[in-house]
Amino acid sequence: MGRLRRSRTHHARRDVHRGSRTRVRTRDLDQIQLIDLDPKNRAALEAQPLDFEAPGLAQHYCVECAKHYETDVALRSHWRSKVHRRRMKDLKVPAYTIEESERAAGLGRDTRRAVAPIA
Amino acid sequence: MRIEKCYFCSTNVYPGHGSAFVRNDAKVFRFCTSKCHKNFRMKRNPRKVRWTKAFRKSAGKEMTIDSTIDFEKRRNVPVRYDRELMAKTIEGMKRIGEIKQRREHVFWKHRMASSKEKQKAHRKKRIEAVKSSALVQPMASPESSKIREKIKVPAKNRSALISGEGRSMTMDVD
Repeated sequence: MGRLRRSRTHHARRDVHRGSRTRVRTRDLDQIQLIDLDPKNRAALEAQPLDFEAPGLAQHYCVECAKHYETDVALRSHWRSKVHRRRMKDLKVPAYTIEESERAAGLGRDTRRAVAPIA
Repeated sequence: MRIEKCYFCSTNVYPGHGSAFVRNDAKVFRFCTSKCHKNFRMKRNPRKVRWTKAFRKSAGKEMTIDSTIDFEKRRNVPVRYDRELMAKTIEGMKRIGEIKQRREHVFWKHRMASSKEKQKAHRKKRIEAVKSSALVQPMASPESSKIREKIKVPAKNRSALISGEGRSMTMDVD
């Protein structure tokens, strides 16, 4: 018999289930965009103290991709890679947040604060 | 008790339904169904998934700027119970619902008006393409195929009493 399955169905995505476990979660796009990319936070992330648990003692960190690298060479080659460039493109548009999901549902936010305690 | 909104598709999540994911910065992500939870775990962007409310709003398929949408709010300031106010609010909700429905219908009509012209042009183009192609032949008319005549066979030939009439397919009886 001939080929039963359509070709090009893989997309080089292995281990979807293992990759979606909670313990392998990294920082989400909205966290990176709103917190990490702020110049003050960015400087702190790029100059982290020695951490013996993290790869490369946490000395080579890519802020956009939230990932540690072993060496400076590896980090620099990562910056030139497709994965990094794809992430840079994703970060250009404002990230999807819980507030946006509520706004899409027609639920707004009331910014009023309680003026005085209710007697 | 609060009716929460699903993080992925923005539908209502009633108490006791759905599931929640709490990120390590204490943000709570609510999900109406396992479908939405799975899509979240796959790191899909709800703005790019066609069946979500976020897609429909961002793609201009639904009303986004309207005064009827602004009434529903997450209020963190408690309001002292007032029977009059409650009765008025419930009456108002009905009325606002009516107005909202009407405005949504108008919005939909406007949206469809532009798409209909596009569809018509597309159909016209397709029909012309079919007509111009030489491969398509007109279908045979049903009348021409109906000309079928019965050939009359004389009844006496079929008589069982006359054996074979000299034809070869019969057996001779002694």
